[in-house]
Amino acid sequence: MDKYSLMVPNFLPCKEYFDIKKNNACPGCGISLAVRHVYKAIEGLIEKATWEAPAACDLFGKKSALSIMKVKKDKAEVVICFDNEAGGKLEDAIVKKMPAVAVAQGYKYVATASPSYPFDLFDKVKKAIETEGKSYIHILCPCPVAWKFEPETTVKVGFKAVETLAFPLYEVGSGFYNVTIKTMQPKKLAVYLTAQERFEKLTAKEIEQAAATVEKEYGKLVENVQAK
Amino acid sequence: MEATKFTQKMVDCSLLDKGTASPFSPGDKRRGLPQWDKDRCIRCGICYLYCPDGAVYRTADGYFEADEKKCKGCGICHRECWFGVICMELEG
Ligand code: SF4
Ligand code: SF4
Repeated sequence: MDKYSLMVPNFLPCKEYFDIKKNNACPGCGISLAVRHVYKAIEGLIEKATWEAPAACDLFGKKSALSIMKVKKDKAEVVICFDNEAGGKLEDAIVKKMPAVAVAQGYKYVATASPSYPFDLFDKVKKAIETEGKSYIHILCPCPVAWKFEPETTVKVGFKAVETLAFPLYEVGSGFYNVTIKTMQPKKLAVYLTAQERFEKLTAKEIEQAAATVEKEYGKLVENVQAK
Repeated sequence: MEATKFTQKMVDCSLLDKGTASPFSPGDKRRGLPQWDKDRCIRCGICYLYCPDGAVYRTADGYFEADEKKCKGCGICHRECWFGVICMELEG
């Protein structure tokens, strides 16, 4: 089988920094997967990274129930938000306001990422620690317990969030505004919502409204991209 | 095949509510250990890439295996492998 030379781990640092003994994550945790890849990207800075506990952290002047990690390197200051949508509301699941707030507050590099696209996530974190000034990365981490889906489908649910345009992956920096993972044929939003048992009580009408909101938000994003 | 409801299936696992994982040491409560069928594996490493706990490691011959001390039995590797190389085997 030596003819297959494409070996995925060759593109990433192979050392594991994520310490299983120090975490109590559930099986199939999206945050674990995201943290594991973030750790690979910030090699050597892990000791200096600080965590802020959920519910206590202060993000853009608002209390939020999300885990925040802060990394500093020279002049770079990176805030990484691991969003597992602990609030559980539909509005929070389909519209992410924080990246837009960060752009408005003059952050130098703002990006959204998903652990289902590890290379994209890895590149974005690398870029952020090499950008002078403040950066913000918003990572959507599917949570099998709060969202109620099978732990083995964590990665699939992450794909669905991006493919239905509910959570488009983009990056904003000085002089560029890109959608990094382009979806050619978006799926229906219902595909993403029905994969999660927490939304099983939604009526068809509510899903339709949500789909309209998602479409509007994505339209805004496309406008921003074209304006640059 | 009818999908098992999340809550039913999680009864034999440790988690019934949010934030209840820690007293149970999740690694001890797994539903099965992944087993690799080396004949079909192309050694692409996707299973390694998506394991949330870094339990999959590469052996000297280039194939992959799970560290049973780290694996929590979530089944992501089993689901993500394109060739269905990995199956989850229940333990004893
Ligand atoms: S994802 Fe499947 S084919 Fe690829 S290395 Fe893992 S077991 Fe082998
Ligand atoms: S079952 Fe989950 S924890 Fe175990 S090796 Fe596979 S992906 Fe990793």
